[in-house]
Amino acid sequence: MIRRLIILLNARQASVLDGRPGNMHWLGDFATTEAGLAAFQRLLLQHSGRPVRLVLDSVDEDYRLEVLPHVAGAARTEMLARKLRQVFRNAAFTGAWRQSRENEGRRDDRYLLAALTDYEWLKPWLGAIENARAPLEGITLLSLACQSLLKQLRIREPHTLLAYQMASGLRLSYYQDGLLRFSRLLAGDRSVQNSPQTLAPGWAADEISKTQLYLMGQRMLPREARLQVLLLDPSGHLASAQAPLNADPAFNARMLDLPTLARALRMPDEFLSSTPEIAPLAALAGEALLLDLAPPTLTQRYTEFRWRRGIHLAALAIGVAGILFTGVQWLHTLDLRDQTQQIQSEQQQTEARYRDITRTFPPSPVGAEQLGETIHLAAHLENPRPDPRHALALVSRVLESQPTVMLKKISWQDRLFAAPGMADERQISLEAELSPFDGNYRAAMQDIGNFMAQLRAEPGVIQVTLSSSPVNTQSSAALSGNTLSGTDSPHARFSLELRYRETP
Amino acid sequence: MMLRPPWHAIKIPLLLLLAALLLAGAGILWSSDTQLEANKNLQQQTRARQTAQQKLQRSNVEKALIQQNLGGYQNLVARGFIGEENRLAWLEAVQQANRDAALYGLNYTLAPRTAAAAALAKGLPLGQTVMTLRIPMLVETDLPRFLEALQQRTRSVFRVRFCQLTRSSEVAPEALNRPELQAECELLWFTLAHTGVPSK
Repeated sequence: MIRRLIILLNARQASVLDGRPGNMHWLGDFATTEAGLAAFQRLLLQHSGRPVRLVLDSVDEDYRLEVLPHVAGAARTEMLARKLRQVFRNAAFTGAWRQSRENEGRRDDRYLLAALTDYEWLKPWLGAIENARAPLEGITLLSLACQSLLKQLRIREPHTLLAYQMASGLRLSYYQDGLLRFSRLLAGDRSVQNSPQTLAPGWAADEISKTQLYLMGQRMLPREARLQVLLLDPSGHLASAQAPLNADPAFNARMLDLPTLARALRMPDEFLSSTPEIAPLAALAGEALLLDLAPPTLTQRYTEFRWRRGIHLAALAIGVAGILFTGVQWLHTLDLRDQTQQIQSEQQQTEARYRDITRTFPPSPVGAEQLGETIHLAAHLENPRPDPRHALALVSRVLESQPTVMLKKISWQDRLFAAPGMADERQISLEAELSPFDGNYRAAMQDIGNFMAQLRAEPGVIQVTLSSSPVNTQSSAALSGNTLSGTDSPHARFSLELRYRETP
Repeated sequence: MMLRPPWHAIKIPLLLLLAALLLAGAGILWSSDTQLEANKNLQQQTRARQTAQQKLQRSNVEKALIQQNLGGYQNLVARGFIGEENRLAWLEAVQQANRDAALYGLNYTLAPRTAAAAALAKGLPLGQTVMTLRIPMLVETDLPRFLEALQQRTRSVFRVRFCQLTRSSEVAPEALNRPELQAECELLWFTLAHTGVPSK
């Protein structure tokens, strides 16, 4: 909540309240004289940069209730400006407050329009505020401040008339369902408290009755309604009005005493007793300005103040959030580092214990794991240790039943080195020819086929493929030869590839 | 009225806001990085402790492994599997095997030692030396006899990679005491470099 100066202004003086929430200070009264204005300006300079909220208490207030179409945004602003110019003509200080919305029909908005019709007396005070470069938050009316006071007092009657006796006069304000509808100040800028007129018994009761009739005439107050009259007078003069009012069934009057006010406003009785006019100002301190009569040019400095304050608050929030986040992260980091150190210490202790234990080990040229791995590797290389003996035996067995096949070359290969994935496979390559051969290639191919079939039938043989044959009959290859007599005898050479797995 | 910012009045507050943003951002980045680093160190240290604990828990097993395998390892050292190549012993072995098999001499070639294939070495510094032998033979059964004799004559770790028998003449085998077969074999002699960390 912003700490601000709340100033009650009337034609005779200005009364200033330092509206720090929860700790209010009365800064004094300043008469409408050159000395008073100078002192007022000095006070503003002392509280430089503090927003100023003006609360006017004047006989020149004018109120008007209007029902206008429900619009929003710029359209509403434009409509209200036009309506205010239409109603109050050349008044410089005007304002509109959207109080509620109609329940039926077009659901139009209900507005309270207000203006200060004579503001010459206000100019010196505004000049002092401008000279002190104080940010003017806005200008409202004492009747609005009294509405906040009723809210603090939790008064919920539908028709309430507050009669507030102040140094400036008797203010009568009518509230319907807690919302201001009408207000007037009697005996304005005269000192009325001790005048014969106001001291006359029944004067206040008469004025209240007249006001009730006016409200009924304006149809603001229903005829059958009973008006709740609250008499607020620190000097106690209004007490005489209570009995005559209560004699009329249309009224229910009661006095508001200072202790009740002090409780509602949560401030000491003594403070309120010494400066009773503080009550509505204190009630307004924490409230938003519902009705502002100040033209935008006067509140430009406050607009800047709000922007600056908003940005400062954002910077502060970001800074605090950054510091908090950084702090939390840093604390977590410290915790992690502590854990790391503790674990490192445990690791060193464990390693020391391990070193102690390893001193009892038999001396070994390498680590225990490498000992085993080395032995396993040697065993893997030697067991089994394949050689061509099995291959030669296999081929010999088949050749015994194939006397026409003459072996020219035989190669054996351990496939462990060619393809480590097939470590248990071996490969045999054969080059041979058929002898004798009479040139009958069809019979030769038949013999080779038989030879391959016998090889395939041997245990452990995986695959037998013919790499080259005596005659290449494939369509993709060229083929040449002759059948002339007297030439060299033909040959039937072929080669095979064989893969096998040694069986135990 | 709050919609249009009065720029002339909020320059310094905006700079302040920017400074706050930068400071907060820098603080958050720095603390996040520091925390990330600390977290990484913690995980690394936790793994190191876990390894140390596992080593400690396995110390009894390790001791048993040493006792169980030390003899076998020393036997491999004695056989020349671990350490430098012993080419003289290999040559002597093939010559003696040739004599034992009553063959007609042989030609040999030893290639420089190379690293064995990773799939074969299983992570150990295994080296291999290719020995190529060319041996004249009378009959096919001489080759198995020679290989059998070689196994008897050497304790080194070797393996036959390739063998080829070729008949040197076009005519059919005759009952003459003249070698007409040519055998060519590639033997791989394996050695393991001694690079292990000794266990105390």
